[in-house]
Amino acid sequence: MKKNLENVRNIGISAHIDSGKTTLTERILFYTQRIHAIHEVRGKDGVGAKMDSMELEKERGITIQSAATYCTWKDHKINIIDTPGHVDFTIEVERALRVLDGAVLILCSVGGVQSQSITVNRQMTRYKVPRIAFINKCDRSGANPFRVADQIRDKLGLNAIMMQLPIGLEGDLEGLVDLVTMKAIYFDGDNGEVLREEEIPANMADDAEKYREELLDAASMFSDDLMEAVLEGTPTPEMIHDAVRKATLSLEMAPVFMGSAYKNKGVQLLLNAVNGYLPEPTDIVNTALDLDKDEEEMVVESDPEGPLISLAFKLEDGRYGQLTYIRVYSGVMKKGDTIVNSRSGKKVKVGRLVRMHAEEMEEIDEASAGDIVALFGIDCASGDTFTSSEISMSMSSMHVPAPVISLAIIPKDNKAQINMSKALNRFTKEDPTFKTFVDHETNESIISGMGELHLEVYVERMKREYGADVEVGQPQVAYRETITKRAEFNYTHKKQTGGSGQFGRVAGYIEPLEEGEYEFVDKIVGGVIPREYIPSCDKGFQKSLVKGSLAEAPITGIRAEINDGSSHAVDSSDVAFQLAASGAFREAYKKAGPVLMEPIMKVAVEGPAEFQGAIMGSLNQRRGIIAGTFEEGTYTVIESEVPLSEMFGYSTVLRSLTQGKAEFTMEFKTYRQVPKNVAEELIEEAKKRKAEKK
Amino acid sequence: MRKEDFIKKNPLRVLQPENEDRRVGLIMARAGLGKTAILVQLALDCLMRGKRVLHVSIGQNLDKTRAWYYDIFKDMVEKSELEDAAAIQEDIHRNRLIMTFNEASFSRAKFEERLNDLVSQNIFKPDCLLVDGLDLATVKHDEVAGMRDFVKEQGVQGWFSAVCHREQAGKSPEGTQLPCDELDDIFDTVIMLMKEPKQKCLVLNVVKDDSGITTPGNILHLDPATLMINP
Repeated sequence: MKKNLENVRNIGISAHIDSGKTTLTERILFYTQRIHAIHEVRGKDGVGAKMDSMELEKERGITIQSAATYCTWKDHKINIIDTPGHVDFTIEVERALRVLDGAVLILCSVGGVQSQSITVNRQMTRYKVPRIAFINKCDRSGANPFRVADQIRDKLGLNAIMMQLPIGLEGDLEGLVDLVTMKAIYFDGDNGEVLREEEIPANMADDAEKYREELLDAASMFSDDLMEAVLEGTPTPEMIHDAVRKATLSLEMAPVFMGSAYKNKGVQLLLNAVNGYLPEPTDIVNTALDLDKDEEEMVVESDPEGPLISLAFKLEDGRYGQLTYIRVYSGVMKKGDTIVNSRSGKKVKVGRLVRMHAEEMEEIDEASAGDIVALFGIDCASGDTFTSSEISMSMSSMHVPAPVISLAIIPKDNKAQINMSKALNRFTKEDPTFKTFVDHETNESIISGMGELHLEVYVERMKREYGADVEVGQPQVAYRETITKRAEFNYTHKKQTGGSGQFGRVAGYIEPLEEGEYEFVDKIVGGVIPREYIPSCDKGFQKSLVKGSLAEAPITGIRAEINDGSSHAVDSSDVAFQLAASGAFREAYKKAGPVLMEPIMKVAVEGPAEFQGAIMGSLNQRRGIIAGTFEEGTYTVIESEVPLSEMFGYSTVLRSLTQGKAEFTMEFKTYRQVPKNVAEELIEEAKKRKAEKK
Repeated sequence: MRKEDFIKKNPLRVLQPENEDRRVGLIMARAGLGKTAILVQLALDCLMRGKRVLHVSIGQNLDKTRAWYYDIFKDMVEKSELEDAAAIQEDIHRNRLIMTFNEASFSRAKFEERLNDLVSQNIFKPDCLLVDGLDLATVKHDEVAGMRDFVKEQGVQGWFSAVCHREQAGKSPEGTQLPCDELDDIFDTVIMLMKEPKQKCLVLNVVKDDSGITTPGNILHLDPATLMINP
């Protein structure tokens, strides 16, 4: 049963904020008859566009999470993954990019290529996603698709080739010229649903010839047949089509389409292009990590008859319970099958299998290689891989970076408290980089994550989706403590005040651990510490690691070895050895050269070259180390490493420094020692906090 | 080995004495022989002596340039059992700035404008300036001379690298191979990196040196496997 994969398209729609991505998606759903009325993103009817299922997105007019939706166009099944256009949600973008095979890059015909488009484009290049461009908003005043196409070439470094020409621009946009068939196409009917094909207007004939020439030149590089046909003057639309497809799949060309989604022009032709030029699942090489072979990379064949490999790329808490979006890479997933979660090793049964259309769904019995579907009632986290039981593979590495910033959240009332815990439970499952815990000293709930905005979004979602009204504390950088040298300990814990006493002695040393957080080594010989109390020592050390003595930050990077000790037949106990180990740690920690560590972020700022000096200056001021600069089109990108604690409010500073023309991205890089003068301040602050608590 | 000893024993001492050196030099070789490796070793030597290095790389990207430093430093640490390597690396990181340019859009004007930005605003003041990947076959004499002047104006040491081609076998009276024969007058020192068939290794041949620091001739060897400079 070889299913037809050539008719499947898994595509992403990715673009700069406000380039009309959601509107375009909305139109696509309308023309493919998945929805029957058109609502605007910021429309007056209050319904909102279909893909923005989260309230917050409706409010801000932006798309935060990627919803997947399914539609069909001319016998092709198209799964659309709506990806966020905002740079701060890169985990979302990257997760979405993994599961799609091709993408439509939407650009505004007025705004053109902006720096966020550059970021998105770079991510797509990294994930080798073939793409076509759609220049939207050709009806707006100041529209100039030709300039945008130039920008795609200059700024994005793509071989942009015009496939169409606009007939009229701005308010006069009437239709498009198709340079492959050399016909003019007009969009009639109330919603532009009727396509009318005509001859090219006489005043455009020269232009059309000129751009067709360019198209043929570019395309014939990829097809000898076409080149011959061009020389003989007999190229057929099929030949052009095949050559362009080949070039697009090999990432050597980005065909450019245009129109106006809002004015219902050009969307159907874009859909034709998705079918015609974007890859089918088998065109793309996907790799998985073999967990039996130490995460060795291997190629996954898009074969429905192979073993099942699928990736859960998004969770959603709908009104029907937890919904897990998955992409099947190989094999078939059937209703009633038992599948294995390769992260937890747990076996789960496939209950309901559905195809999603934003918020409505269609029940199906099976999904095979290449499909994107959703599962009900499966307990898992985002990024988990599901396979059939005979293999052990993972689509993504098991490594999750540790959070670098935290925030205290305080519910306003009891109801908020209950809702908040529901929300936190959901978010931690959706996003492995988002964590939560309760600080036992202050009894506050703490959330932690990868950046200021990351946490802000979750707090907003908590309020809107779960009705959990919370107050938010100041963001705190997740400092850590560690030691720099080896130190010995020999500590006796003794207590004899009435009742049974406590006795335990432990000796050994602690030393810096290069990789990992904590290691316990037991070198006790001759039973000087009885076997049953060894775990007590381990526990005692671990308890001491929770808060360091410098700034009450958790201690990491410690190897503790015990090699001597003594016990008492009556007075030694689990507690006694735990306390002995804690005491020993306290003793040794002071001697081991403890230092404070802070998270360092990799910060990349992109902006016009003339602001290079100002940007570098601002990074220097923030204790940043500038690693280097490189050019991206007319922009300069400055790569640097800056302590997270210095980055609060940087976006405002950057904006005013560069007239709003520069942008930055930030990701966690490593922990590094805090310079002395800064560390002293932090330690002083921690002391004050401690005193206040008392 | 301690850092001080390492600096003293560095074979590059014949080329780069510990006291101040402000000459502008050129290193030439056929493609792929190891020009970048030599520049990076010169840079690392400066960095270890606490100097600041600006590395201008034309046509190579930032990550790749950084990888050169990383690999060569790692090799040095392993070979000489350098002490406190992590701290030294940290300093290197702090005192080095890499600027990469696209080959197609590189020009002297751009070079000066961008570097001036750094120096005039006191963001990064280099002691040593490296320009790697300049295509001397296409860049004009004045342009190169202009860049040399710029380096001299800053009062720093400078090293350029250039590719020479097999088909351009001509030599200038001074012995410099094409395409750099016309550029002899620009540089204080010209070094040619070439294969030495008898010794099965690469030699650094000082073709000319007006600074009087180094005597012309084959002064150093380059291990073809590791691209490390040896006496």
